[in-house]
Amino acid sequence: MTEFLETTVDKFIFKVAVDRYYNSEGVWAKPEEEMIRIGLSDFVQQRNGDVAFAEVKPEGTAIALGDEVAVIETIKVDIAFSSPLTGTIIEVNPAMEEAPEAINQDPYDQGWIALVKPVAWEVERSQLLDAQAYFERMKVEAEEETKKL
Amino acid sequence: MSDSTRKLNHVVIVPCSGIGKTYGTVSREAAYDVVEELRPDRSKLVALSMLVLGDEQARASVATNLVVTIDGCKLACATKMVQESGGQVARDFAVLDVYRNHRQFKPRGIAVLNEGGQQLARVLAEEIATVVDDVTDPSPEGGQNA
Repeated sequence: MTEFLETTVDKFIFKVAVDRYYNSEGVWAKPEEEMIRIGLSDFVQQRNGDVAFAEVKPEGTAIALGDEVAVIETIKVDIAFSSPLTGTIIEVNPAMEEAPEAINQDPYDQGWIALVKPVAWEVERSQLLDAQAYFERMKVEAEEETKKL
Repeated sequence: MSDSTRKLNHVVIVPCSGIGKTYGTVSREAAYDVVEELRPDRSKLVALSMLVLGDEQARASVATNLVVTIDGCKLACATKMVQESGGQVARDFAVLDVYRNHRQFKPRGIAVLNEGGQQLARVLAEEIATVVDDVTDPSPEGGQNA
């Protein structure tokens, strides 16, 4: 069972799954045997609101670290997300086409975005944030967001 | 005329109160389209804020008529508040669901909707009008007991 770091900011509760890595945009990367599953953090989905559409680069696409891997359109914004690793997209979550609200409902599990075959994971992993580091960064961002309310 | 028949003469429309949010504005514009243009004789508007404030007239209105709610986000405040006020929701619409079926009408803007938002509101209003037709009495006497 996935464990979480959790914080409450104002009336919002944000969770960070501890079993994966994160880039600065809140895209998570979870090692699974030879593959890396990617998705969006709980903070990202809450900040951006209900997802209307999610467009993910198609299966077979080669992506480099930092390349655009997905664009989501929410009730608030259209936002592009960068890949947290270099590799080839092996599988796109069918829910992104059929029920992208999975990102909102279950960002760390059913709302995953894509499965990527990595090229240089051991090297690139060191450029990502571990859960604790992302948690601290996310708290600062969340507190800044609530000041805008 | 029995109470059950009286309920079919009007449908109450309760839209999202999300001030400052695009989808909230779409919900309200759709509600205005229904009650002011499409079905003025068989629908009436109740402001969600009045229900939240516990306004007796607003609560009585939703408690004695079928209600169509329009929610701007997944919190579904309009639907929940109507139910808490004792109202019977004939149909709950979510702006997001309507948009997913009409992606060509991308809503933007807050105080003033863009063209896409206005068209989306119109599409939503027409869907609501269909519900109003389904649950109200189309006879000439219908809609006279507001």
